[in-house]
Amino acid sequence: MRGAKSAKWVAIAAVVALGATACGGGGDDGSSGKGKGNGVVSVEIGEPQNGLVPSNTYETEGGQVINALFTGLTKLDADNKVVNAMAQSVETKDNKVWTIKLKSGYTFHNGEKVTAQSFIDAWNYGANQTNAQQTNPLFSHIQGYSDLNPGEGKKPKTDKMSGLKAVGDDTLQITLNGAFSAFPSQLSFTAFVPLPKAFFKDPKGFGEAPIGNGPFKMKGTFKHNEEIDVTKYDKYPDASKIEAKGVNFKIYSNLDTAYKDLVAGNLDVQLVIPNSGLPTYHKDLPGRYIDEADSGVGYIGFPIKYNKAFQNADLRKAISMSIDRKTIASKIFLGARTPADDFISPIIDGYRKGACGDACTLNPAKAKELYKASGGLPGNTLEIGYNADGDHKAWIEAVANQIQQNLGIKVTAKPFEQFQTILNDLDAKKYQGAFRMAWNMDYPDMENYLRPIFSKEAITNGSNYSGYVNEDFEKLLVKGDQAATHEDAVKQYQQADDVLLKDLPYIPVYFYTLNTGFSDKIKSMKIAGHNILWDSVKLS
Amino acid sequence: MGRYVVRRMLQVIPVVIGVTFIIFCLVFALPGDPIQALAGDKRADPNIAAVLRAHYHLNEPLYQQYWHYISGVFTGDLGETYNGRAISEIVSERFPITLKLGLTSFGIEAVIGIVAGIFSALKKGKFIDNVVLISTLVLISIPVFVLGSVLQLEFGVKLKITPVAGIEKGWPQSYILPAVVLASTSMAYVARLVRASMTESVRADYVRTAIAKGLPTRRVIGVHALRNSLIPVVTFLGFDLGALMGGAIITERVFNMPGIGGQLAQSVYLRERPIVVGLVTLLVLIYLVANLLVDLMYAVLDPRIRYE
Repeated sequence: MRGAKSAKWVAIAAVVALGATACGGGGDDGSSGKGKGNGVVSVEIGEPQNGLVPSNTYETEGGQVINALFTGLTKLDADNKVVNAMAQSVETKDNKVWTIKLKSGYTFHNGEKVTAQSFIDAWNYGANQTNAQQTNPLFSHIQGYSDLNPGEGKKPKTDKMSGLKAVGDDTLQITLNGAFSAFPSQLSFTAFVPLPKAFFKDPKGFGEAPIGNGPFKMKGTFKHNEEIDVTKYDKYPDASKIEAKGVNFKIYSNLDTAYKDLVAGNLDVQLVIPNSGLPTYHKDLPGRYIDEADSGVGYIGFPIKYNKAFQNADLRKAISMSIDRKTIASKIFLGARTPADDFISPIIDGYRKGACGDACTLNPAKAKELYKASGGLPGNTLEIGYNADGDHKAWIEAVANQIQQNLGIKVTAKPFEQFQTILNDLDAKKYQGAFRMAWNMDYPDMENYLRPIFSKEAITNGSNYSGYVNEDFEKLLVKGDQAATHEDAVKQYQQADDVLLKDLPYIPVYFYTLNTGFSDKIKSMKIAGHNILWDSVKLS
Repeated sequence: MGRYVVRRMLQVIPVVIGVTFIIFCLVFALPGDPIQALAGDKRADPNIAAVLRAHYHLNEPLYQQYWHYISGVFTGDLGETYNGRAISEIVSERFPITLKLGLTSFGIEAVIGIVAGIFSALKKGKFIDNVVLISTLVLISIPVFVLGSVLQLEFGVKLKITPVAGIEKGWPQSYILPAVVLASTSMAYVARLVRASMTESVRADYVRTAIAKGLPTRRVIGVHALRNSLIPVVTFLGFDLGALMGGAIITERVFNMPGIGGQLAQSVYLRERPIVVGLVTLLVLIYLVANLLVDLMYAVLDPRIRYE
């Protein structure tokens, strides 16, 4: 029995060791009392992609948290209009040199005063290629940006952009490369917030416990894949307008699960109700939902750059006219989308209802005619690529069926495993078909729906995957940039938009709508640019 | 005995090297660029992408990347993810959760499975046997995510007995329901296995002798019959301990538990070679340890089996 006995001991020891590690490392505290009425609002987010560094956050999950922790120079109000936040005034004569006066009274959560230099240091860090920040390209309008981005394998000679100057503690002077009328709007993006001195000592550590200048401050550190807790910062100048005592950002990997938590009352806000909840959310959450237009646009794009067949605008128009957008929006997306009728989202100043006109209206007879006249596609076949990792299969297949039926050609939907695999194939000029594409704004200005997707520079430096080039369009963009007033800029950008509507490098298919649900702990709330407006959140 | 254990432990080294290399090759072979994946639908800025690629050695050939990785591992550095988090940190944060879930589930599966199997075998053809047979059939045929979603809806959303998701309430409240779901299929298999082998051993000569000797029924069933019947069950349980860790991927997703399952799925999606390799290697190690335990348990259960 000797063997058996020692075997028993080894077995027991191993089981104990396994058990001990299981119990030792868990970081969950069972006693974080989050009952109703303590003023803490829980909000669903996905795991932020990176540490919570504003200039390295280019997605909406981390953006939510940054928005609660930081206040920038400008912000969006409930109507998606750009208004001053930390800026007292924003002035310019030529859209190139901007003078911004700061409001006083703002401090970082560690007590440090927010000065013009806090902004300059933060932007210089964000724009420097050695720091490899995701939002780096957003700084490209500022003079001296190219010095910080000399290119692959080269080291920047300086770490400061020449266009940034602090005139005293409370005045910021910014010189851009050229006129850019949308600049104040761009400043509302979370990448442009200030950073305290502590950040530069340890950027990585800062990402786990950021020190902001916003209405909420961190409570503890970023608990990855679990939660991020923030509490109200009492020294925030507008603290009296904020009812929530804190926010508990709960991290979910599965939106359906989050929705169940919302219905069960364990979660207070879910910004995007998942498809599984769409048929029932009005009933599940009586009076506790928001349905409003969102900033996203869904398109179908064409590799115009190298596929000759797609270079005929009439052919693209024919394809566009054979799509029944209403059915897609109401049947496939259950009303969570609306038919697109412009390249610009409806929440943006300058959007024109029905701007796309005929081209975005179902008309099989005319579509067929146009298709024939344009010479058609080789072999009368069309392929539409989409990434199978998102929720795109259903609508792309529906679109494929509609085009097939209405044009009488063979249309197939081709799944790619990730969007980047489509991009790689497009870059290698390997993929000949049409492809699914979408755009979500970085800042609420028409310009953001035009230049980053359709301009010449966006072929290498942006999202112009079709390789579309039109010199008239380029000129009109510059005119818009130089416009003296916002109204004038809108007019110029609309003319640029008209060029797109004629050329149809992409065909707009739907606008996203935001379907948000909240718990009975919240009386009312408003959302702008995918961020919760914390001063609008009223608790019941 | 000691020598046997040491030999088995040494086998781990070539297995780890082989497995990490194979996984590395597999993840490497997946199409898609990890740096572009960070940028989502937007195009990664070429300058920034170049800086990141150089930092993570992504421009180098496979064997060099593997070398960077494995030499790091031997100096205790598991590397970092493409968004700059230390992999050792992620593993120590998430692994305990999966382990807790897996062990809870293992306990449920072993206890309920064995007890149900014994009762079923002893009351063959009676009501209780039929209950076990039908319920195990049902459990085996329902996919885990369906069972998970249904139980979550009933117990979490409607009855509010258990939390819907997350691990806020800690062990055991937050773990019980997911563990039951995770254990369900294996529990059914264990019950059926025990039932089958118990049925055989209660008819065996030595059991008859034990009864004839006048031993109390509890001792006959518990020691004489059960001990022999457990050998195939232990084999299954040992194999299953590893499978539970892997199977947790689905359960963790349904119940939003931040264990390694979700991390593994996400990392494969983001083409994070080092972390996929690290996590899979960890799973392999668990399999190896579990199998060693099974072999040792044989000796405990049946002294005729020795390893000298």
